[in-house]
Amino acid sequence: MATRTMESRTALSNYGFYAWIGFLAVIVVIGLINFIRQTTDGHHLTGLSDALPWGLYITGFVFFVGASAGATIVGLMVHAFGRDDYAPLATRALLVGLLCLAAAVLFIAVDVGSIPRMLRLPFIWRNETSMFTYTSLTYYVFGALLLAELFYTTKVTRGEATTGDKTVAKWLAIAAVPFALVVVHAPHGGLFAVVESRDFWANPLLPPHFAVVALLTGTALMMGVAVVTSLVDGRDLVSKKTVAHMGLLLALFIAIAAFMDFFDFLLYKYSDQFAGNEAWEALWSDGIVLSTLHVGGYVVALSIILLNRGRSVGWLGAAAAIAVIAAASYRFNLIAAGQSAPLLPFLEDVSYSPTWVEISISAGIVALITLAYSVATRVLPMEEPAEPLAEM
Amino acid sequence: MPKLGMVIDLDKCYGCRACMVACKVENNTPESHFWMYVFRLEEGEYPNARVTFLPRPCMHCDNAPCVKVCPVEARYHEEGGIVATDWDRCIGCRYCAVACPYGVNNFNWTKPEEDQYLNWDDPDLIPLTAGNLPYANPDLEGRYGGKNRRIAGGNHRHGVMEKCTFCVHRLDKGLDPACVANCPAFALHFGDLDDPDSNVSRLLEQKRSWRLLEEDDTDPKVHYVGGAPPPEYVRQIETVKARE
Repeated sequence: MATRTMESRTALSNYGFYAWIGFLAVIVVIGLINFIRQTTDGHHLTGLSDALPWGLYITGFVFFVGASAGATIVGLMVHAFGRDDYAPLATRALLVGLLCLAAAVLFIAVDVGSIPRMLRLPFIWRNETSMFTYTSLTYYVFGALLLAELFYTTKVTRGEATTGDKTVAKWLAIAAVPFALVVVHAPHGGLFAVVESRDFWANPLLPPHFAVVALLTGTALMMGVAVVTSLVDGRDLVSKKTVAHMGLLLALFIAIAAFMDFFDFLLYKYSDQFAGNEAWEALWSDGIVLSTLHVGGYVVALSIILLNRGRSVGWLGAAAAIAVIAAASYRFNLIAAGQSAPLLPFLEDVSYSPTWVEISISAGIVALITLAYSVATRVLPMEEPAEPLAEM
Repeated sequence: MPKLGMVIDLDKCYGCRACMVACKVENNTPESHFWMYVFRLEEGEYPNARVTFLPRPCMHCDNAPCVKVCPVEARYHEEGGIVATDWDRCIGCRYCAVACPYGVNNFNWTKPEEDQYLNWDDPDLIPLTAGNLPYANPDLEGRYGGKNRRIAGGNHRHGVMEKCTFCVHRLDKGLDPACVANCPAFALHFGDLDDPDSNVSRLLEQKRSWRLLEEDDTDPKVHYVGGAPPPEYVRQIETVKARE
């Protein structure tokens, strides 16, 4: 009887898995069709214009670079900070970090006018004064670092690691944490901060702000992974205490990000800079939905974590999902509102709404990495056998 | 090495936009791309309204933000200080458009049509061209400057950024840019800003001059004489149609 139940559960989960993969594949195919249309017909199928040249794709790019850096750091808590209770998440976090990096590169690829030319950056063509040259170099190094770390970590989870392998995994992790934050993600804030013509962006605090939002996004994503994996697999991936610890970390990052946002808003509101004021107006007119999601999301997520105090993993998962939406809203508004102020004072404000082509291509990229993650977690050994944990 | 620049006399400009047309014809720029744009601005209310004009080419800044941010050096300083775009190298990331405070960059959002404004295959038009198609100017395909790059003309491939070149292919022949050569009011002047005897230097000595968004420290090589920087309260009479 017990065997039959097990068999039927496995069969059901297989059906569910293939349905999930099929669903993601449909979104990927729709995105691919629209990408081919965009490539052949032109970027006029997007909502972008000469007055507002960056939009949803660049939002996806900075969001996923941040998520990559943040998730990697959560995954390396075991080695870099000695948190053994994070061990079951370590390989998954590295995988998420790698796939998020791939998503970021794909977002850039669909945004640029010529992908073959883009691939010559930075080794064949480069400009040392451009932040973009610098950041493009970091993808290669960070990608290689993550792949190497993933290789050694899966050796550990397969039980094939020697003492030397474990040492390499540890030192790679210790190197990857500052690299993810300082070398990879913070400079993405620099991509915007160096643009002096956009008062909304030209802020030296933007790189640290980006780093904090990266930590927030990565922690929230990995909390989501822990909760969803536990639900899907019908077992606790990490202990309730560990999820609660991640919740507290998330609360800390939200509080720091909210603190920085508050002073940004204050400066825009009371700035004597024309574009700063214009951007403030844009945030609370055209961008009011996303501004509400951004600010409201932080407040709600923080409230849930603080009121819940780790009692319910489900609520913590909800807080993590809300925090991810809030961070994505912040990224989108930063980019769209930052360009909405007219360059010359007598011009009109510029507004931007992504088209269905942009939305479907972006959804296709997200579905593609989700699909890759779903398959990889089935194929690769993700964790060493763990002790059964307390009920969630 | 000369420092090539433009001086625009706003006391003479009467907003005919011949410079815009000349630029389009000369460079065969795609539809809705205006490398030279003349803003028509108004201030006040009827009956005390006033109309002013502000021609705006690329400023060819000495301290050009677009040159700094371009990741592949497709945007660079050519001989004479011209801010050029290498059409064969631009990856279409649009970082230059984001960084430029003047909004002079035009991205090819669609695949540009070579023959954009008239159907020159029309039997009625064939006798007029005698085989020399007006849009097929071989000079626009040439390579120019010290780096021997393809930097002239418009109408390039989809996904590439374009902007004013100061008509580098005309300068190569000792001619002025098309907008300057075709201005009926002689409001546009072009020459070596470092040469005290050049027409532009003499004009800058004679009249009070200013530059657009001087506070941005971009050090533009387009100077205006006459008039004043447009204040915030002026209104644009018609908006630029960036693209269809």
